[in-house]
Amino acid sequence: MQGSVSLAAPGKAAAAAFAIASQLCGAAFLYLILKVDGGWQVVGLLALLGFGFYLLERLPWIGDYALASFARASLLAMVTAAVVVVAFPFVVGSNTYMLHLLIVAQLYAVLALALNFQLGSANIPNFATGASYGIGAYVSALLAINFGISFWLTLPVAALAATLFGFIIGIPSMRTRDTYLALVTIAFGVVVQQLLNNFSWTGGPNGLVGIPAPSLFGHSFADPLVIFGWKLPSQANFYYLSAALVVVAIVTAHRLHGSRIGLAWNALRADEIAAKAQGINVAWFKVLAFAVDAFLAAFAGTIYAFYVSYISPDNFTFLVSVTIMTMVIVGGMDNIFGVIVGAFLLTILPEKLRAFADYRLLFFGVVIIGFLMIRPQGFFPQRMRRYGGDL
Amino acid sequence: MSALLKVENLTMRFGGLVALNDVSLSIDKGAVLAVIGPNGAGKSTLFNVVTGVYRPTSGRVTFDGVDITSRPSYEVVDRGIARTFQSSRLFSDLSVLDNVIIGMHTRTKTGVLDALFRPGASRREMAACVEKAETLLKLGSGGLFEQRYRPAGTLAQADRRRLEIARALASQPKLLLLDEPSVGMDDTETDALVADIARLRAENPELSVILIEHDMRVVEAFPQHVTCIDYGSKIAEGDFAAVRADPRVQEAYLGKAVAHA
Repeated sequence: MQGSVSLAAPGKAAAAAFAIASQLCGAAFLYLILKVDGGWQVVGLLALLGFGFYLLERLPWIGDYALASFARASLLAMVTAAVVVVAFPFVVGSNTYMLHLLIVAQLYAVLALALNFQLGSANIPNFATGASYGIGAYVSALLAINFGISFWLTLPVAALAATLFGFIIGIPSMRTRDTYLALVTIAFGVVVQQLLNNFSWTGGPNGLVGIPAPSLFGHSFADPLVIFGWKLPSQANFYYLSAALVVVAIVTAHRLHGSRIGLAWNALRADEIAAKAQGINVAWFKVLAFAVDAFLAAFAGTIYAFYVSYISPDNFTFLVSVTIMTMVIVGGMDNIFGVIVGAFLLTILPEKLRAFADYRLLFFGVVIIGFLMIRPQGFFPQRMRRYGGDL
Repeated sequence: MSALLKVENLTMRFGGLVALNDVSLSIDKGAVLAVIGPNGAGKSTLFNVVTGVYRPTSGRVTFDGVDITSRPSYEVVDRGIARTFQSSRLFSDLSVLDNVIIGMHTRTKTGVLDALFRPGASRREMAACVEKAETLLKLGSGGLFEQRYRPAGTLAQADRRRLEIARALASQPKLLLLDEPSVGMDDTETDALVADIARLRAENPELSVILIEHDMRVVEAFPQHVTCIDYGSKIAEGDFAAVRADPRVQEAYLGKAVAHA
C-alpha cells in the first residue's frame, strides 16, 4: 500500500482538479437520483454506482489517489463542498419533495455518525439510537409546546436529557457484552417507545401536534426563504439547518477519531483485555460512547420534531434503530464519509424504488446485498490513521 | 533497599483448582526477576493477579508502597506496571504506530471536551505521542519503525513480540512484566531480545523487569534472581545456578526418575 501511495501522489493542480471534479460528479449523481422517477432510470443509476464501487474495489489506487488529492487540496475541497451544499437548493428549486428527502437523509446521516462512535469505533451494537432520537424529539417538543421555549434553547436541553439516557442505558449494559449487550439495548429501545405510547403527557399513540416552527432573527422557518431575490420553499430553512448539524457531527466525529479517545475506542474494539492492560478504563469508554451517541442523536431528533411539527411514537421504533445500524454497516464502519454515503443511499433508495410498487422492499434488499457483495467491507471501509505529512 | 513490588501469600483458586498457592516474592528497583516453571504452573496467573485481571482469593500485592490488591487493571497501569501477554494481544487491525500510541493512554490527558473544543491541544498531544512512539520503534531490534503503518496483525511473530514490548514501554512503566517474550523467536532473535532488555536496563537503571521464561538462554542472561513455580507453589528461589541445581526444580522439569538418577 505504501508503494501505491507514493506512485499515485498527485501534483497540486491535479489534486485540485480532482477534488473539484469528483465533488461535482457526486453532487450531479445525487441530483439525478433524486430527480429520476422511472424504474429503469433508477436501475441505470444504481448500475452506474455499482460499477463505480466495482472499480474502487478492483483498483485500490483510485481510492489512494482520491485521498491524497483531498489531503493535498483540503481547503479547496472544503470550499467546494460548502458551495455545493449551499447551492443545491437553488438547483432543486421549488421541488419540495427532493428537499424533504435531503433533509431526512441529512438527519439520518447525523444519526448514523452518532451510532458510528459505538458500532464503528468501539464495536458496541447499540439498538437504542432510535430511542435517543425519540427522546431528543419529545423533550424539545414538550418544552416548546408546554412552556413556549424557543427551538434554540430546547436543542441543548434535549441533547443533555438524551445524554443522561445514554448514561442510564450505558451503565447496566457494561455488565453484558456482544449479543447480550445488543439485547439490552433492544429492550431499552422498545421500553422507550412503549412509554411514549402509554404516557398521557406524551400524547400517547397520537403523539404531539402543533410544534411551532423555529425562527431566527425574526425569520420564521415556516416561511419561504428569500435570498438575493431567489425564493426557496420553506423546507430550505430546515435543509440548511440540518446541513449545519451534519457539519457539527462531522467535526465531532473527526476530532474524536483523531484524539486518544478514538484510539481507545478502537483498542477496546480490537481486544478488550489488551485495552485494559494499556490502562484504558474500558467500562467508562463504553459508557462515553453511549453518551456521545445519544447527544448527537438528540440534536437530530429536535430538528426532526420542529421540521415535521408532528411526532408520534411510530417515528422512533426499533426499525429506525435497525435502519441506522444498516447505514453504518453498508456505508463503512469507522469511516465518516462512508457512513454519510450509506445514510443518503439508504434514505433515498426506498423512496426511489416506489416505481417497483409491491416489489419495492425485495428490490431494496437485493440492491443492498449486491453492493455488499461488491464492497464487502462497506462502501468506504475504515482506513489506517496517518500522521504527519500526507494525511 | 525497599522492594518495588511485593507479593505476599498470594492464593488464587478457580473453583477446586489452586492456580497459586501461598506464593510470596518481591523485586527491588532496577532488578530483573526470572520466573520459571513448567507449563500450567501458575506463572501467567501470577501476572494476571498482579495486574488486576484476577482478584486473588487471598494475599496481598504491594507496589511502590501502595496496596494494589484487586485494583482495576487501568489503575495498576497508571501506577507504573506494564505487561505483555503470552499469546500476543495486539490491536491487530490498527497500525503498529497506533498500537504504541495506545500504550501511552495513561500518560495522555485529552478528554472528550478537550478533543472537541481544544483541537489544537489534542493535536499537539497526538503529535508528541507520534514522535515518542517513533523513537520507541526505532530503538528496539527488528525493523518495526519501517513497518509502522502496517496493520499489527500482519507482522511476523518475532515482530509481534517486539511490538508488545514497545507498547508496554510506551506507558513509561517502573515495572515491566514480560510473559514469555521469546516465544516464537529463533536463536538470533532471542539474542537480540536479550540485548534489547539489557540495553533497556542500561538506559533506565530504575526499571525493574519480571520475566516469565522457558528459554534458559534468556534466564541465564539475567541470573541474579530466579524463582521457580510448580503446581502453583514456589519451590525454589535464588540465583540461576542455585535454582538450577535444586533437586526439586530438576524434578519439576525432568520428572522424578531422572532427578534420582
